[in-house]
Amino acid sequence: MRDFAERLIAYETKGNKSSGTKTAAVFLVGEKLRLHLTALMGNVGFRALFSRALALANAEVPWLHTVHVKADGSLGGLDELGAQVASEKIAEGSVVLFAQLLGLLVAFIGGSLTLRLVREMWPKIPLNDLDFGNGDKNENPK
Amino acid sequence: MKIQNDAGKRQPLKRIASPPAKVTIRKLPTGVRGLDDILGGGIPEFSFNIIAGTPGCGKTTMAHQIVFANATAKKPALFFTVLGEPALKMLRYQQQYSFFDESKLGNAIRFINLADVVMEKDLNAVFDEITKQVAAINPSIVVVDSFRTVVRKTTAGVSEMEMQSFIQRLAQFLTSWEATTFLVGEYDPAEIRDNPVFTIADGLFWLSQKAERNSIVRKLQIVKVRGQNSVPGLHTIRISEGGLQAFSRTLAFVPQNKKPARRQRLSMGIPELDKMMGGGVLEGDSLLVAGPSGTGKTALATQFIAAGLRNGEPGIIAIFEERPKGYTDRADSFGLNLKTPQEKGKLEILYLRPLDLSVDETMQEILDAVERIGAKRLVIDSLVSLEMALAPGFREDFRESLYRMIVALTAAGVTILSTVEVEDTFTGFSFSHYTISFLTDDIIRLRYVEIDGQLRKVMVVIKMRGGNHSKDIREYVITSKGVVVIHPRSTDYDGLTTGIPRQTGPRKAQKVESGPEPKARK
Repeated sequence: MRDFAERLIAYETKGNKSSGTKTAAVFLVGEKLRLHLTALMGNVGFRALFSRALALANAEVPWLHTVHVKADGSLGGLDELGAQVASEKIAEGSVVLFAQLLGLLVAFIGGSLTLRLVREMWPKIPLNDLDFGNGDKNENPK
Repeated sequence: MKIQNDAGKRQPLKRIASPPAKVTIRKLPTGVRGLDDILGGGIPEFSFNIIAGTPGCGKTTMAHQIVFANATAKKPALFFTVLGEPALKMLRYQQQYSFFDESKLGNAIRFINLADVVMEKDLNAVFDEITKQVAAINPSIVVVDSFRTVVRKTTAGVSEMEMQSFIQRLAQFLTSWEATTFLVGEYDPAEIRDNPVFTIADGLFWLSQKAERNSIVRKLQIVKVRGQNSVPGLHTIRISEGGLQAFSRTLAFVPQNKKPARRQRLSMGIPELDKMMGGGVLEGDSLLVAGPSGTGKTALATQFIAAGLRNGEPGIIAIFEERPKGYTDRADSFGLNLKTPQEKGKLEILYLRPLDLSVDETMQEILDAVERIGAKRLVIDSLVSLEMALAPGFREDFRESLYRMIVALTAAGVTILSTVEVEDTFTGFSFSHYTISFLTDDIIRLRYVEIDGQLRKVMVVIKMRGGNHSKDIREYVITSKGVVVIHPRSTDYDGLTTGIPRQTGPRKAQKVESGPEPKARK
């Protein structure tokens, strides 16, 4: 699932060099997912799912405690993040967060349907070689 | 009106006298097996429908089947989810069904969540959101699931008139946009009279389930469908991996063949019995073989099927207790090979044992098999075990459904042999405790009689609707060849039908039998 999340983030951050815009770009994945998935499951549904993903990611990435999911399902606390955490750490944490989110989607609706939803947002990203393995939401490929 | 011809001269246009054609309403397939027939061909295009019922009846599944059966990228379906089942869970569960075609999601089928609008705004906002999405996507199918929650949430403080107006506007808009609409909701039957949505709807599909002892029985009623004849009454539905399946009360069996005008006599596979029956059973008859346990009903039925197979007539054996292997093994012991015709697709042994079967789906299984192999002969072995395999709630419909199936099949020229267990009493001579003899053309009765210190077996042809038959009571045995009729009619006894006959002729010396009556070896 990390590989999956990394590809989405890499695609969104491509070309962003400065740390400020890079932080925003890293979390652009979440924003795009929010807009797309909210149409399917509503604000309440997406917020519940994203909050669960954040709670799971918190266990691995302590600084994510400073981030929260707002009522509309978007992430809050990102503005302060750039000053407190190094951009490499932010990128790493975002991978964990979105891997959890994608993992939850896979757990609920399966890999095939998750891929279909993601492809609707990022049709150009090659995802055919992704291996969801045994369904572990946040497996580390290393 | 005038037109110019090639020469440039004006000539009057001939009027066409034929009257304008009436509108043809296209019917959409439901994707629910059996439902199109019940509806009278399918769902009228551009109709405004309600799928109603209590929780767990299969409303959402039915809506999904309709959507998946019709949605294409050019004519997409719009599925509005509201406060009912969360969309994620709905997708999680619905994809377990075989009709769920993931490739349709996104382009042919789009899910839109209306929960936020419903929670935060009023009826007008809901209407605006639906119209906005419909105008943008131009769907051919629109589903709102659950419409009940839309109404419940947004009608606080709204008058009945406003509610009716909202539903009317919605119906008019969606029909004008050439969408066939389904509002899914949990309603109580008592609401039909007062709820405006039921008045406005063109079609009302009512799903229900009720408990009968330990069984749950699901039913479907087409309360109304405008513009076409649906099959009235309650139809059994079952939810399985294929989604909902409906079983029409009329069984909707369209035979490939009709009963021939000149019917031939078919061999029972027992030459002496054929003679007793005036040459055999008439093609397309329903024959009942009644007798107590151990009198050879199954052996006789097997011989009947085997005779057909030898004559190139495919057959079906529907059994409910014994497993198919046991059946074929016993046939083997009579020298009847059922395995080869099974392998060649000329014979199917249907083992319909699970409890809680509905009578209609049991009948449907049999009808499907008959159609599948073009069966000419059918054995139901036995009616008693068929009834036992049914859910208790269906047993009261047993006779009615059996009647419908027999009528449908015999009309198609299929010859049916049903066995039924009857308890031998020594005072009466009953044929069946079901009182089903009215739906059988022919009856053969087997029974035990006590003769010369032995419990022997006799058979008699009680009735043959299609012609004359022997009135003889004949003794028979079950040997390694199956049922074999022995001895001609005995005139030395009276009262054979009572089971305890009185000897009227001279007493003959009896042979000493070293062992029991020869019987099929296992």
